Amino acid sequence: MKIKLIIGLFLCVCFAQIITPLSMIARREFVLKHGAQYKFKVAPVDPYDAFRGRYVALRFEEDYCLCAKEDKLNSGQQVYALINVDDHGFAKFSGLAVNRPDTGPYIKTRLNYISGDKAYLDIPIDRYYMEESAAPRAEKVYQQHVRSGKEDAYAIIRIQDGMAVIESLYVAGERIESLVDSLSN
Amino acid sequence: MNKVFLRWLYQELPGLVEKGVLSQEAADKIRQFYGQVKNPGRMNVGLVIFGTIGAFLIGLGIILLFAHNWDQLSRLSRAVLSLTPLIIGQLLVLWVLLKRPQSSALKESTATFLSLMVGAAIALISQTYNIHGDAGTFIFTWMLLILPLVYIMQASLPAVIYLIGITAWAGNNWDNPVKAVIFWPLAAVIVPHLIWALKREIYALRAAIVSLVMAVCILSAASFSLGRNWPGLWVVIFPSIFAVIYFTGNWKFNQITTNWQKPLRFIGGIGLFILVFQFTFKYCWQYLGSYTYGVNRDISFIGLLPDYIITLAIIGTAVLLFYDNLKRKNNQVAMFGAVPLLAVVAYFLNMQSTFLPLLIFNLYLFVLSLSRIVAGFRLNNQALLNTGMLMLSVLIIARFFDSDISFIVKGLVFIIVGIGFLTANLVYTRRLGGVK
Repeated sequence: MKIKLIIGLFLCVCFAQIITPLSMIARREFVLKHGAQYKFKVAPVDPYDAFRGRYVALRFEEDYCLCAKEDKLNSGQQVYALINVDDHGFAKFSGLAVNRPDTGPYIKTRLNYISGDKAYLDIPIDRYYMEESAAPRAEKVYQQHVRSGKEDAYAIIRIQDGMAVIESLYVAGERIESLVDSLSN
Repeated sequence: MNKVFLRWLYQELPGLVEKGVLSQEAADKIRQFYGQVKNPGRMNVGLVIFGTIGAFLIGLGIILLFAHNWDQLSRLSRAVLSLTPLIIGQLLVLWVLLKRPQSSALKESTATFLSLMVGAAIALISQTYNIHGDAGTFIFTWMLLILPLVYIMQASLPAVIYLIGITAWAGNNWDNPVKAVIFWPLAAVIVPHLIWALKREIYALRAAIVSLVMAVCILSAASFSLGRNWPGLWVVIFPSIFAVIYFTGNWKFNQITTNWQKPLRFIGGIGLFILVFQFTFKYCWQYLGSYTYGVNRDISFIGLLPDYIITLAIIGTAVLLFYDNLKRKNNQVAMFGAVPLLAVVAYFLNMQSTFLPLLIFNLYLFVLSLSRIVAGFRLNNQALLNTGMLMLSVLIIARFFDSDISFIVKGLVFIIVGIGFLTANLVYTRRLGGVK
């Protein structure tokens, strides 16, 4: 009887252990399939994350939006960053909402800090994983590209109901993986 | 008696009977008195250690293999592959539960393997979908998912991983004490396992490791989560925690002789001594108010309430345990554990002047070391005698370095302290010879 109870409990634990990563997969696959596509200008760098192998760290070129003092916002507060697309087809943050907006694209995020009239966001996209040897090469490719005077790196991000998932990273109009490959060859 | 000694004694008995030192009847009575050598849980320590190291290595190997260069696979197959080691771990645990429920070694090693694989699966999926690098959420989810294994498998290594994990999580939230304070209920969940381990195998490695990790984690987490809005309160919080650890270490299991088998008593004692020694210096009290460890944001009273409640509970427990030891006439133990009470008094007196706290702790350390020396002589306990001597010499030397006294006098003090050490040990050894 006791062993049956223990095994029953263990099976419940197994279910929780499987369902947690599965739900992570399912939510992101759903966004990647059904979410709207946006281009965000980024600037990659390459630190080492001991937990998760090598990746290209991303910094959004404009990771803030303007706010008024009357908004009474605090650091760490959950907000909804509204998104607008400019004439060149790049997405930008156009405003903040404390409550979930009814319409329009937005990302659910937190406030990093406020400086003057700018509210800096803790954007939930800060990395792009690559194969171990490719990440430092990608960084080099990008830096060479910047030195030549062009800064046209952007990330393609899918957004659905406030959740954002990065799809790919482009430098000089080409996917970073194929750019690194073509340069290595 | 320690089972190692008991085994030795039982090995010696036939020889002693043969040589006529003991009669057969006396040897039988000794055996009857001490009973069988107990082998709790029939746990083979070697098997547990090697099984667990093996599980660790296999687990880490799998993570490395997967993490390295798997760009060629499609996103979904990578995600599904991430779950494979987790499922293998679960099947192994299930097999042990069904086929080998008696084997502590297998339970321990498979549960450890599964614990690592849960973390690996979440990390690999985070990598596949470039999920935001939030170490806190990652560790928290991982720890909650492995916690039940501690009780289902009666395994201590997952408990150790869990304790280290929640401490790391509290550290990750060091700038948000309202969140970091959740460490305490999370750590409390492991207490029944610790008590079970202590009861079952008082002398075993398992109880020693869990209690050691528990003590270290609690001390680390206290600095992240307690007294954050009350500058200088650390002078009460840390002595209280060390005192609770020290009293718990002295509880019930007095027959254990070595320090590594009694890590709580050892850590508690050393910690209390270091704190008291620090409290005998002026700088400690002079700059007490300015020792704040970095919370600038405004936190409401309600947000700080858990911090206050846990801090008061720890101080209260230390005082109650002190009172309990005093009542049971464990004077040596009680005296050492009196630091929290004195710290409370000193904390409030310090608001008037720094002189009074200094006086209290210098006097206390002096009396404490003398009482240990006297008790050492009285009870023929050389360890007690020498720790007392050591404390006294440290105090004397520190005070002489503190003050403007010439080098010659300082040198003489060193010589006198050294002579004191030698004389005390000589007198003790002679007396012991006389007793024999």
